[in-house]
Amino acid sequence: MHELSLVGAVVESLEEMAMEKGWKKVTKVTLRIGRMRQVIPEVMIFSFSVVTEGTIMEGSSLEILEVPLMSRCSFCGEEWEGLSFQCPRCGSDQVETVSGMEMDLESVEVEE
Amino acid sequence: MPRRIAIQRSVMAADEKIAEKIRKDLSKRGVLMLNLIGSPGSGKTSLLEWTLKDTLFRSVVLEGDVATSRDAERIARTGTPVVQINTRGGCHLEANLVEKALEGLEMDGVDVVFVENVGNLVCPAEFDLGEDHKVALCSVPEGPDKPLKYPHLFMRAEAVLLTKVDLLELLGFDRDLFWKDVKELNPRAERLEVSALRGDGMSDWVSLVQSWVRAKRP
Repeated sequence: MHELSLVGAVVESLEEMAMEKGWKKVTKVTLRIGRMRQVIPEVMIFSFSVVTEGTIMEGSSLEILEVPLMSRCSFCGEEWEGLSFQCPRCGSDQVETVSGMEMDLESVEVEE
Repeated sequence: MPRRIAIQRSVMAADEKIAEKIRKDLSKRGVLMLNLIGSPGSGKTSLLEWTLKDTLFRSVVLEGDVATSRDAERIARTGTPVVQINTRGGCHLEANLVEKALEGLEMDGVDVVFVENVGNLVCPAEFDLGEDHKVALCSVPEGPDKPLKYPHLFMRAEAVLLTKVDLLELLGFDRDLFWKDVKELNPRAERLEVSALRGDGMSDWVSLVQSWVRAKRP
């Protein structure tokens, strides 16, 4: 459900950048989204096509790069993928999230 | 030919900036902000009604709902200043809405801002409001599988409250499974069982809030 807000934020910041930098058209937008951000790519892409209508992004493609959830044990350094926050090697709960929380605007392709 | 331009910045950069500003402003004043997140009917407003009876700290409440001011009316009856934020279909609160709502409140002498997010286990977990802690609520009737089904919220919560524990036996709720999954997702979260009907666990919850309030005081 929050995909629409996220797409709204993407479109808003790209419109600002386009004004600033004089882009005529945006042809492709690439996002990096972590596995834990609960985004459904299909909903994101549909929302994007609706929200970009009438903007310089109309008709552009949206690419979503999914980033896996990776954790690292602060105690022994073990790294693993998936939904567990206890070290599978030493059992420590001193765990940091390495990736999986991204929600980044990675790049755009523009016509100038 | 289109040209590729690397950007590398957060999608929510504008809103995150507002959240950071809220966090800084409140910290300067020594005010704690809690973001209460749970399904519709998980007992967020009932928990607040109970909490606000406690006069050891002074509170204000921001009530997020898709529609109506029913929750704000319930909070107002406790004598606590409250602002209702209607998202008109929006499934979560965002920092810009919180910033506007805070403008309408007198903050002198306030210890805690309780934000009751829109009832939803998914989207509210995604948006930083400038809070110190997220508090996750899950009620017994929802079933014990919610932490694993909606892991993001339970991973990021500073405290997890199992609410309506007066129904544990009646509904045959598997509380061991529930807490095992919570521990797996977030071993360091505070874990509390409460019932707003009978008052179980409420003093532990209030003590936890008090310890957070003390930690914020300059």
